[in-house]
Amino acid sequence: MVKLTFVAPDGSQTTIDAPEGTSVMKAAVANDVDGIVGECGGAMMCATCHCYVDEAWADRTGPREEGEDDMLEGAASEVNDRSRLSCQIRLTADLDGLVVHLPEEQL
Amino acid sequence: MALAPLDNAITLDQLTLDPYPIYRRLRAEAPVLRVASARRTFLTKAALTKLVKDDPILFSSDDPNTPMKPAFRAHTLMRKDGEAHLAERRAINPALTPKRINSDWGPLYETLAADYIGRLPRGEVVDLFATLCGPLSARILAHILGIPEATDDEMQRWSQRLIDGAGNFGWRPEPFAASDEANDQMDALFARLAPLRKAEPDGSAFSVMLTAENPIPLSQIHANLKIAIGGGINEPRDAMATAIFGLLDNPDQLTEVKAQGAWNAAFEEAIRWVAPIQASSRLVTADTELGGYEIPKGETVMTIQASANRDEDLFENGEVFFVFRDRNPHQSFGNGPHHCAGAHVARRTVGKIILPMLFDRFPNMTLPDREAVQWRGFGFRGPINLPVVLN
Repeated sequence: MVKLTFVAPDGSQTTIDAPEGTSVMKAAVANDVDGIVGECGGAMMCATCHCYVDEAWADRTGPREEGEDDMLEGAASEVNDRSRLSCQIRLTADLDGLVVHLPEEQL
Repeated sequence: MALAPLDNAITLDQLTLDPYPIYRRLRAEAPVLRVASARRTFLTKAALTKLVKDDPILFSSDDPNTPMKPAFRAHTLMRKDGEAHLAERRAINPALTPKRINSDWGPLYETLAADYIGRLPRGEVVDLFATLCGPLSARILAHILGIPEATDDEMQRWSQRLIDGAGNFGWRPEPFAASDEANDQMDALFARLAPLRKAEPDGSAFSVMLTAENPIPLSQIHANLKIAIGGGINEPRDAMATAIFGLLDNPDQLTEVKAQGAWNAAFEEAIRWVAPIQASSRLVTADTELGGYEIPKGETVMTIQASANRDEDLFENGEVFFVFRDRNPHQSFGNGPHHCAGAHVARRTVGKIILPMLFDRFPNMTLPDREAVQWRGFGFRGPINLPVVLN
């Protein structure tokens, strides 16, 4: 299990434990984290799992996957260079303690 | 392991009139059921419908023998998987993003909605389904697609004929004759407009697809436009009509929605309660298992999202319209690679623009006779009339 923290736009934090191998999106949905919808289930088709990787973790989550840039165009909130689709971030032991920030809206 | 039980009692007529009591029973008694009349295995629990749509390898959309093919005169992205689907889907996606809608289209949609709502007569019974929900959905879609030259009537007629053809599983000639005529008219219009949309890019779906760096073939551009026409009018129309009905039929909730400005939640609840697209088919590509039953390769399973949306495992009192649910993980836009491409458009046009404007213009709108509202549909569902009095 790895620890994963979501920071809402108002600053409030939610920390969960999630199994390695799952995606940040799936972990959020399984734990009812408000602010990650993940409507398409991880098929990179809805852009409702948008998140901003905390600066301290940007190196370890790696670059965007193929097709992710295009789909991020479809995100409801502002996209910046820390933007990722959380369905494309797979949790590894290396990401234990990962912090991601949630956008204003997903829909 | 055994095959799923076989049902010979459920008829398509029963499902068309009111499938919900049947689905409720199936969720409790037979969540995996081979339904003889539909020649499909029905999946009525949310976990199973989601699982199937999340696995496009095992549960394929690819159906080379679908009546959609003659109906659309094309093998469309709806019935493709993998890269073939993705290429066509990515070609149209840029026209349907929230940013595009907010920045480029929002003001136009406001104007269109104001026009159509402004024309409605006060103080008499008016059928909102026929006068507002259908025509306004058609008009907005015509602009999104880049074919505003098509009339509301044409858009709605073409849409219905494509749908009737696509659902013509009996392969009768008449529906295909009707869809052929619609295809001729659409193809002629597309051919006439293509040079214009190419010469002056306007952010519409047609324009975006024509002017892409590596455009998909013209035949597939046409097919994508037709899929959007076939699949982009009924759904917002029925979502709108269902939401209006739900709110008028529950005045306390309407009051609260107005007070909180909870129009998005009202929209989401409407499409959960009665999903405009109730069921989808997937072809099983390898022997597998669902819900404890053997599902052989070659079988067609039907995900009944209408039922998943009322699943007792996820929703308390799922049979009733209740805007203020804590959570609303409905499956009305589907999931997996075929997740509805128009989801953002629908949420913004119906939820953010049309519903608040309508109830603002007519604060004393009433539903004089709820029993007069007729609901129909197995594959697609919604009210087919909506007589209200506007004031």
